[in-house]
Amino acid sequence: MKLHSARLGTGHLLSGSAIDRSRPIQFRLDRRVIHGFAGDTVLSAVLASGIDTAGHRDGQPIALTSRHAPSIAPSVQAKDPHAALPMERTQAHDGADYVTLAPRLKRNLPTRLLKRDSHSLHLDLGASDALTRPWLGRPGDPGPTGDLVVIGGGVAGMSAALAGTKNGLRVLLLEASTRLGGHARLFGTMEGEETPDAAITRLTQAVAASSKITTLTSAEVFALRPGKLRLHQVELLDGVPRGRVLDVTAPHIILATGAFERLPVFSGNRMPGVIGSLEAFDLAQLYGIWPGQSAVLATSSSPAYRLALMARDAGITLQRILDSRPQPQSRFIEFAKAYGITQAAGTITGSVAPAPKTRRLTVTPQLALDGFSSAETSIETDRLIASGGWQPDLTLWHMAGGESLWKAASARLEPTTAPPGIALAGSAAGWLTRAACLASGTQAVQHRLGKETKPVVDTLIDPLYETPDAAAPIGTPPDETSQPAYLDGGRGYLARPRHLPSRWPNWLPFATRPEVWSLADTPHPLDIAEIAAGVQLGILPATSAGIVAQERVAMVGVDVEELAPPDKSPLPLPPPYLLGRYANASLFVVAPSEQRLLSPGSLIHIDPDSADPLNAIGVVVRIMDGAAIALVIGTTGQTASLREPGRVIPIRLVAAYSEGMDLAAALGGSASPL
Amino acid sequence: MSLKNADFVIIGSTPLARLVAGLLASVHGKAVVFAGESHAGYHLPRGMDLSVAPITRPETWDLLKPLVAEMLKLLPRIGARGSWSRVDPVLFAEAAAGKEALAHIRHMALAFRHGAEPVGEKALGPRREGVILRDAILLHRPRLEAALDHWLDKLEVHRMAPVETLTMHPDGSAELHSGDQRMAITQTVLADDTALLHHLPIAQWPSLLQRQVTSTIVTEPTKPLAAPVMLQLDAGLALAQQPGRGITAIGAGRIDPFAARLGVLLGRAHDFRQAGQLQYERIATSDSAPAVGRLGATGPDVLAGLGPTGAFFAPAIARWLSGVANPAENAWFGARLVDRQIAPSLVAEVTSP
Repeated sequence: MKLHSARLGTGHLLSGSAIDRSRPIQFRLDRRVIHGFAGDTVLSAVLASGIDTAGHRDGQPIALTSRHAPSIAPSVQAKDPHAALPMERTQAHDGADYVTLAPRLKRNLPTRLLKRDSHSLHLDLGASDALTRPWLGRPGDPGPTGDLVVIGGGVAGMSAALAGTKNGLRVLLLEASTRLGGHARLFGTMEGEETPDAAITRLTQAVAASSKITTLTSAEVFALRPGKLRLHQVELLDGVPRGRVLDVTAPHIILATGAFERLPVFSGNRMPGVIGSLEAFDLAQLYGIWPGQSAVLATSSSPAYRLALMARDAGITLQRILDSRPQPQSRFIEFAKAYGITQAAGTITGSVAPAPKTRRLTVTPQLALDGFSSAETSIETDRLIASGGWQPDLTLWHMAGGESLWKAASARLEPTTAPPGIALAGSAAGWLTRAACLASGTQAVQHRLGKETKPVVDTLIDPLYETPDAAAPIGTPPDETSQPAYLDGGRGYLARPRHLPSRWPNWLPFATRPEVWSLADTPHPLDIAEIAAGVQLGILPATSAGIVAQERVAMVGVDVEELAPPDKSPLPLPPPYLLGRYANASLFVVAPSEQRLLSPGSLIHIDPDSADPLNAIGVVVRIMDGAAIALVIGTTGQTASLREPGRVIPIRLVAAYSEGMDLAAALGGSASPL
Repeated sequence: MSLKNADFVIIGSTPLARLVAGLLASVHGKAVVFAGESHAGYHLPRGMDLSVAPITRPETWDLLKPLVAEMLKLLPRIGARGSWSRVDPVLFAEAAAGKEALAHIRHMALAFRHGAEPVGEKALGPRREGVILRDAILLHRPRLEAALDHWLDKLEVHRMAPVETLTMHPDGSAELHSGDQRMAITQTVLADDTALLHHLPIAQWPSLLQRQVTSTIVTEPTKPLAAPVMLQLDAGLALAQQPGRGITAIGAGRIDPFAARLGVLLGRAHDFRQAGQLQYERIATSDSAPAVGRLGATGPDVLAGLGPTGAFFAPAIARWLSGVANPAENAWFGARLVDRQIAPSLVAEVTSP
């Protein structure tokens, strides 16, 4: 494997703003030497080294991405769950020696020798705990306190944090990635706005300068309830990353968790080489990573064109841009035309398959216009950038009890009723423009504090000039031989059922039946993107999408009450479920005619031959101090028969039972009939 | 609306509600409206349907046994083949009261010739005792619901549409409105907890029925349980392990405390992560026995507290609502009327999950 085989050169916008190319580092992962630069995360260095495959599931490779990466741990602490770290949030450091914490594919020696795939981590993704995150089960240590917690360090989150300080609040700003800034850079600038870089720099400096803001980066919140949250942070201690779980409480919480990019649903959508436009942009812009020399871009959203322009400036050959919208208009589209990039409107990705004898992809575009659909000529390429539009990240919102509704016009879940003490800001709240995201940060704080708010205005360019995003494209259902079509690119593997044509009429019992979807039986949490795809595929009614999103969010318990001590009060005699069973029955001490311990529940009959439980006259209720107490219709001295499994035992009603009586005396000196 | 009048409107989304609606229409020739959602394929379950339960009353065992056989004949006939499986559930307890109840349940099961064997600590964990009940029927709600909906359509049971509105009257009758059209319905049946919680007026709320905060938790795949279905008597908690090894747990309490209790119950060997959770209210009866019949003898019919075996009572309930129940059924339902005496209750049961 070549050093930095997936790294772009310098001198353009995708050179890698986070890395210092003058400071090379190397570390080991699963005994492989990985080369990187200071500023890399473990994941970015691994991807830059050309490892693009996490492993295999059902025999098919699945890409390694920031949303689909295993946990790692220092090799000397491989068995210590407390040492687990996320690849994507852990800064790479020189000399480290890590192992992945996931089951590995079982490959015998000949396979290993013959199929030396140096591009894969060789994880067994079919194992139930493949991409486990061990910190999710850890209790939290007390974390920093504040009046306001802002989750998300993009422009909206930083704006909210600064608004909090202006209101005199102590603010805790939590960012999951290794740096503040968010994703505003991909979306460019509208006329009259400051550039995204200028805005991010301005806000970052203001946050750093504020003594009232405590910032935690590499801090991912994984549990949220009104007023409390639990997070996992990778902190650097003497330059060495270490994970910790913290519990934080605060009366006010702002969620500025942004929006994530939907994965269009087509066969092969998680193959190595297929990537979302936001992830491709982040890897290139922060770490200078872009595997291959050519790419096809498939989108339903205009910002992806901006990435195409930047990629072309960096020397990448853009073979085609497929746009699901029939007549897309955008200034970025005009720029792309001016660059001479071939564009195909009303076209989606039909399917992707591995190109024969290479590591390239064969992309089959599909014309999808007004109900007309036809496969186009396939394109062989190094990389497919697939953008399915944007969905507000409401994961924590749902976890805290927030509600949401599916909006057909935008084909996404949008927030409705807020949980107590929690407000949304930025694109998580559904805002589209940077100006609105910035304003919403401030207004969310005002709203939480019960102060006067100003309406947030999302000033969008006229649709004539900027075509709104379309729904995430859905390709043709996979058939027997094609790659799986997943509903999302995260840790779940919910895939669209394959279309298996039957050779027999459907009414015949041996005809091939279509696979039955049952989300209720899926033993994994459902990401919002999977739910959105489920609505588009018709397996989930739009009206239920918000409820299902709440039900199927991956919740972790943080709000645990002390368990009640076991009830030690005396048991009622007879227990309530025996009341009224035998009319005029009363409690007796009973004794068998032979030495034997009786068991509670045994039925008592007058007739030793009777086995009908409806004809029973009583039942042994309890054994107390070795004596059997029965609820029975009878009188003292009467004999009866007791049925135990396999035999009938004669018994005698020795004495009427009363609370506190001397049972041993009643049985004639010995409490035990034995 | 093709009908102008109907005999019954069945409100509810459970298999019991659907079965009662279908049986009233098919077996008893009634004109039926069904008002219930179809969501078992994607919503987390709020209950399970099992042919056994922690039952101590002989008359209930006696009634249930033929009803289970009747259901097993009915299901294939209505196209619900493959919507059930045979399981050997384990009922277990840790507290003294629960262990004592287990002994009564085991003897009662054996008396009705139902296989029941004790299960010890080795399978269940320290200080726990259990009983394995052989050859029980577990209904698979997502598949059954699809089949029952198809059956209801074939029977021309009117399925209430979202655009239609239903107005319930205090005497138990109802009206269904769709635009200018109106359908008069003689009797309303509130056939599940959600229907009761939504439609039962507070003023008519019987003292027997109690609202209980309940949670369902679905776990990610974990190690196999001692049995695919387990019912814990102490806290009325049900566990069902799905084919993918995820566990569906249903029990009283809010989600987080319930998850904590579940963690203690399953122990470190079954360390789990939540794959889904749902908190809701359900109806419990103060004596843990079923509650049926008309509120105040004149209002809507209520079906509550039937527990996991509820769906299996559907044929008897349909007969009873139609006035053609046999004497044993009449006696059983008559003793479990919703306005019965509750202190002391003469039909009290062990708490069911």
